[in-house]
Amino acid sequence: MSIAKDFIIEQIKSRIADYKEDAKMRTIGKVISVSDGIARISGLSDVSMSEMVEFKSGEDKTSYGVVLNMEEDSVGVVIFGEYTDIKEGNEVMATGRVLEVPVGQSMIGRVVDPLGEALDGKGKIEKKKFYPIEKIAPGVIARQSVNQPLQTGIKAIDAMIPIGRGQRELIIGDRQIGKTTIAIDTIINQKDQNIKCIYVAIGQKESKIAGIVSRLEKHGAMAYTTVILAGASNPASLLYIAPYAGTALAEYFLDQGDDVLIVYDDLSKHAVAYREISLLLRRPPGREAYPGDVFYLHSRLLERACRLSKEYGGGSITALPIIETQAGDVSAYIPTNVISITDGQIYLESDLFYKGNRPAVNAGLSVSRVGSAAQIKAMKKVAGKMRLEAAQYRELAAFAQFGSDLDAETKSKLERGRRLNEILKQGQYSPLSVANQVLIFYALINGFIDDVEVKNVIGFEEGLHKYAEIVGKDVLKQIIQGEFNEDLESNMKMLISDYKATLQ
Amino acid sequence: MKITPKDYAISLLRAIEGKKENEAKVVIENFVGLLARNNDLSKAPGIMDIFSSLWNKENKIIESEITAAKKLDANSLDSLKGFLLELSGAKEVKMIEKVDKDILGGIVVRYDDKVIDMSLRTKIRNLSNSIKT
Repeated sequence: MSIAKDFIIEQIKSRIADYKEDAKMRTIGKVISVSDGIARISGLSDVSMSEMVEFKSGEDKTSYGVVLNMEEDSVGVVIFGEYTDIKEGNEVMATGRVLEVPVGQSMIGRVVDPLGEALDGKGKIEKKKFYPIEKIAPGVIARQSVNQPLQTGIKAIDAMIPIGRGQRELIIGDRQIGKTTIAIDTIINQKDQNIKCIYVAIGQKESKIAGIVSRLEKHGAMAYTTVILAGASNPASLLYIAPYAGTALAEYFLDQGDDVLIVYDDLSKHAVAYREISLLLRRPPGREAYPGDVFYLHSRLLERACRLSKEYGGGSITALPIIETQAGDVSAYIPTNVISITDGQIYLESDLFYKGNRPAVNAGLSVSRVGSAAQIKAMKKVAGKMRLEAAQYRELAAFAQFGSDLDAETKSKLERGRRLNEILKQGQYSPLSVANQVLIFYALINGFIDDVEVKNVIGFEEGLHKYAEIVGKDVLKQIIQGEFNEDLESNMKMLISDYKATLQ
Repeated sequence: MKITPKDYAISLLRAIEGKKENEAKVVIENFVGLLARNNDLSKAPGIMDIFSSLWNKENKIIESEITAAKKLDANSLDSLKGFLLELSGAKEVKMIEKVDKDILGGIVVRYDDKVIDMSLRTKIRNLSNSIKT
């Protein structure tokens, strides 16, 4: 007992010995008014934009804010956290630092708020290193084009809308049709892929986040994931900085040469939070009452996603922003903005969702502008044919609704299309490895599934994966590693026909 | 057009510039007359505030507030004055002394929107914070 006491006393002594105090000149101001999380402050003559300021609201109470507006004789500041203690005439001190958040390996596996405070009750997080939340994105010299795939584990996406490491792929769709699910499945599928994941929840219900975190824990995904949470009950200021704070953490991992996946869920709520702040700061409203710089708000954020060249560390930040549309309206202000910023979008449709095609990816409207460069060879080969089949099926299906007299070729195309549709259906939290995906698609485009009844396709597929897991491990390995050649093709053919033989 | 207190203060400053004391008096009398004619006499306190801060800026005068735990002697005040003149580059320093027992010891110097906090209270608080973390 006394040893512990001595140790503590020793520690305190050494801290006191280390402590250095020097008188510094600081700039101060006075609060003129506080309203709705915004404070107007006089004085503070030489603060800079997005500098942190410190409010002294009581004997030992300090809260922080950040400078967003500078006018002739006042400064507009958004306050983080509680602002009810701050009174008119309170002293405000400039800190001389732009807003920065703690970063580090200790953030992995934690749920934190945008300022790096733990929210999961697992104890305090060590704050050793800080990164500024706003940073200029890497330039042309440091970048490299996307050349490595990021497997989502979702068949419809990996085959038709492939995502590469360093890409920005928007997930867009109405509420409640599986946008978050795609992002979470992707995070779960990054297990053992050497990717760090960051999930930024902006304005989400805390109950939903609790569900997501427990789901991630269940699949062992929290071992490489950080959840940054600015919930629906947090003030707009925290919602506003949340994606930037997440990106700052991603940039820390990037600087270690890691590959990072970051999900912003969702940016429409982020834009709404920024609109709130802007209107309270009396900036003029524009279309849909969003301020003039709402495009820059998202472009500067998503531009920080990148794939660095080898000389610059070779890491990457892949961004999956999510946008919620109202009644499928992709031509609203924020959706069009973010669509034009990103390298493609995954468009989810409620009609498909209610028909039972889940994930409800609309293959026609979804695109990936750069990802196909990063697909593995075998996948590229089968996906090309498969995409064609899917497109033909869509066209024919619309046409065949009116007539019943169809020639044999059309009929067979339709039948195959129906089976393809079944294959593209995939349950939640069940990502599939890319080798298995290639195998099932290969089986489809080569007619192995044509004689399986549509309602049995799902069972057939599950059986094939299980069979391949036991018998065809070498084939699966060959798919991932090698070229797409005749040897591989014959191996796959053999595996599939062997499996079919077991069904008889 | 509405004339703001700031406009009034600036124009008054320009009108007085380089005038001798008795000339300035005439200007000020005229100025008050103008205020009365414009029905703006109620703005006078605001104009005075802005004018004095403009005047101080123009003539490089700073007002400094010095808070100490007990009354400072003339010697230390003098050296403080020298220090402030050097620090701010002003020509003249107006010192306002304040006694506040709560700061325990040391002094707190303020001028414009700058503050140099050398009080014992702040030092103790910082020390206790550094031990806590």
